[in-house]
Amino acid sequence: MKRFVVTLVLILPVLALGQGGGGRRQTEPVPEGPVPRAASGHPDLSGYWRDDGNANPHGNLGKDLPGFKLPFTPAGEAAHKYNVEHTIDPESLCLPGGLPREDVGDMGFQLIQSSTDTVFIYQYGTFRDVPVDGRKHTEDPDPAYFGEEIGTWDEDTFVIDSIAFKDSKTWADENADPHSDALHTVERWTRLDAGHLRLDLTVEDPKFYQVPVHYRRTWIAAPGRHTREQACSENNIDVSAGHLGFGPGPIRADGTRGYDDPSPLPPLPSKSNPAKTILPPGIQ
Amino acid sequence: MKKKLALFAAAAALLAGIPAFAHHSFSAEFDGHKPVRLVGALTKVEWTNPHSYIYIDVKDDQGKVVNWGCEGGGPGALTRAGMKKTDLKIGSVIVVDGYLAKDGSHLIDARRVTLPDGRNIYGGSPGDGGPGDTGPPLK
Repeated sequence: MKRFVVTLVLILPVLALGQGGGGRRQTEPVPEGPVPRAASGHPDLSGYWRDDGNANPHGNLGKDLPGFKLPFTPAGEAAHKYNVEHTIDPESLCLPGGLPREDVGDMGFQLIQSSTDTVFIYQYGTFRDVPVDGRKHTEDPDPAYFGEEIGTWDEDTFVIDSIAFKDSKTWADENADPHSDALHTVERWTRLDAGHLRLDLTVEDPKFYQVPVHYRRTWIAAPGRHTREQACSENNIDVSAGHLGFGPGPIRADGTRGYDDPSPLPPLPSKSNPAKTILPPGIQ
Repeated sequence: MKKKLALFAAAAALLAGIPAFAHHSFSAEFDGHKPVRLVGALTKVEWTNPHSYIYIDVKDDQGKVVNWGCEGGGPGALTRAGMKKTDLKIGSVIVVDGYLAKDGSHLIDARRVTLPDGRNIYGGSPGDGGPGDTGPPLK
């Protein structure tokens, strides 16, 4: 038993390490069965949906494009450069991720469906409430991080058409790709069975993208899981103390944010290798 | 043995479901080419969102003490990684391995925390793209 406990203690953090990005393990069982239906007869999309680990590179709107290369217009290219060099990640400022970022990010979400609304609840207290009551887009909607959203059903697919987006302090994805106020998104959500929810997303933004960008991914049902309180402004030292730099930092060759060749941490301390402070040259 | 396997499977399933809570990219704040090891006495714990912070007094060879901040995941991420707030006792000596903040302040990303009882726990923010997040586990 002792050996088992030691093994468990060693393995738990290793398992935890695998949860962050594209290479994460997902051994949680996937619910099986037919598509559940609401009283209206439409598929019931309610539940907690977790990432399936296959939307790689994670957080990259260009995931499904050759070389992950987005079709920027010259203005889009300039906007991307500006985001990278002059803007702090809006989510770290505790602003809503908005669209399309919440659709391409790592995080799972809770979905609550009623006969008149479909509500998405994300981390950091972010939510969106999509009306599904037959209304049309208004003539002069106020710009918003999720835009003005209208929900309809196309047979068994739930469609969200969104216009009127903010054009500053917002990134289109984790890599600081931009969108403008001309953004128009069409999300087609289809529950394939009890365990899978597929998104087909079309992003149109003629100011910044030469052609529409298509993006597809699937989430897995996670019964019993819930979004939890996570107060973004409780102790946001990164921003208040000015530690956070502009942009997402380096982007790896695989299209995700991070270093391709980070230096290793010191070897674990042991009796023969007792821990001693190690600082980079020039740091005291 | 079956009992042990069942317990292990339950723990693995629990951790497999850890959602990512990255608040920002690791590399927007920390230098992946500047690894650091800090050994010192714990002076303060902030068990908060969007990140937790632990502060330790680190003494150099001349006896000068500098208080360093170590940024980790939020309470949810740390708890699921196996750390409890009660593991962090003021005055106890801990080892924190991580990476230096790019702005040159006395702040590191607490990628790995070794507690006085010898346990070492992943302290980073899942999903931030930092070392060990998507690549092979830290050894």
